[in-house]
Amino acid sequence: MTMSTKRPFTKDIILLDNVEEVTNKIIQKLQQDVLHNLKRLGAVVGTSGGIDSSVCLALTAKAFGPEKVLGIIMPEKDSNQDSEMLAKELAATFKVRTIKEDITSALAGFRCYERRDDAVRRVFPEYDPMTYKMKIGIKQTGLSNNLPPVFSLTIIDNKGNQEDKILPVKEYLAIVAASNFKQRSRMSMLYFHAEALHYAVVGTPNKHEQEQGFFVKYGDGGADVMPIGNLYKTQVYQLAKYLGVPKGIIERTPTTDTYSAEQTQEEFFFQLPYGLMDIYWYGFENGYSAEEVAGVMEESTDQVKALFSNFERKKRTTDYLRMSPVRDYYGS
Amino acid sequence: MTHDPIIIKEKVKNYVLQAVYAEKEKIKDNSLIFKEGYFDSMGFMVLISYLEEEFGIKTNDADLLEENFESINAISEFVIRKIQ
Repeated sequence: MTMSTKRPFTKDIILLDNVEEVTNKIIQKLQQDVLHNLKRLGAVVGTSGGIDSSVCLALTAKAFGPEKVLGIIMPEKDSNQDSEMLAKELAATFKVRTIKEDITSALAGFRCYERRDDAVRRVFPEYDPMTYKMKIGIKQTGLSNNLPPVFSLTIIDNKGNQEDKILPVKEYLAIVAASNFKQRSRMSMLYFHAEALHYAVVGTPNKHEQEQGFFVKYGDGGADVMPIGNLYKTQVYQLAKYLGVPKGIIERTPTTDTYSAEQTQEEFFFQLPYGLMDIYWYGFENGYSAEEVAGVMEESTDQVKALFSNFERKKRTTDYLRMSPVRDYYGS
Repeated sequence: MTHDPIIIKEKVKNYVLQAVYAEKEKIKDNSLIFKEGYFDSMGFMVLISYLEEEFGIKTNDADLLEENFESINAISEFVIRKIQ
């Protein structure tokens, strides 16, 4: 007789029962992977002042000792000022040395801002980057019905007047491609310092970012190890509290820090607060029925079914981002 | 630019059939192309841009409803309504 070991679905099903044990396991695996398997002497971590990179820095400092970790702060002209301050506070907490590498001129060299602003002006001719801020968001169509999301462009002038339009596909692709220079330039800088020190690069994406494709291929997706790559955001917060990440970082709303206007990750990509996203995603990936999840979450079954197909679609359409280069063209 | 419903439907149908990664025979005029997963987010955005360029219509937030895009029939009717 076989018995199902699956626990009944609850709202706190993803909470880690033993944060200390999980933390220690991650630290031990980091040591094994970086020091023994990759044969590197330590690690560099890009620190943005966000929750994910903060937990990664803390884990890395515990794994290798702070003297074998380098935190790299890489602001550019659109970055939020708080990011750098919080990153410095974090590094001080864990006694990790940090350096600042402003990547604005590198991005200007790639014509990142110019290419992006040209595309924005094709949608809003009045857009002037000196007086306007801009961001891309998702039109709230995708989660509760079968239509995939459509992106919109918002510009905000210096008096706070806001305009937004559905983005034509060419301009959407141009803006995203130009903005991705930011993550890819950061990746280059991380590898420069890692190679100069014979260190590994620690990648900071969490489980959702990995599985739903919310990362830039060979940008923030380019790293040697991803210690929180299998943790839900709720669990990342549990680790943050346990490790002693500063309160200012824990209490901050997760942002993309990519566009000049303030933008939350929920607004840009996930369309749900992370706490809810975590629970639904757990139900989805562990094969709980839409009926059972709907009952616990006090939602309609149809809504949960639509949400699950949205997740399925996101996974499927972002496979390309997670794929390694295809090379089996000859031999085996 | 055409206002003929038959030509509009033919153009929409041709567009959808060449845009999907699926066997053409499977897609009927009333097949639910989004529910069945034939179009992803990028496909949807390209579809909207195609409709705007081909038929000179403007899509706004209020138009982003499943009933306007769920099938070849629905898209054709949406375009015809927009043109009128």
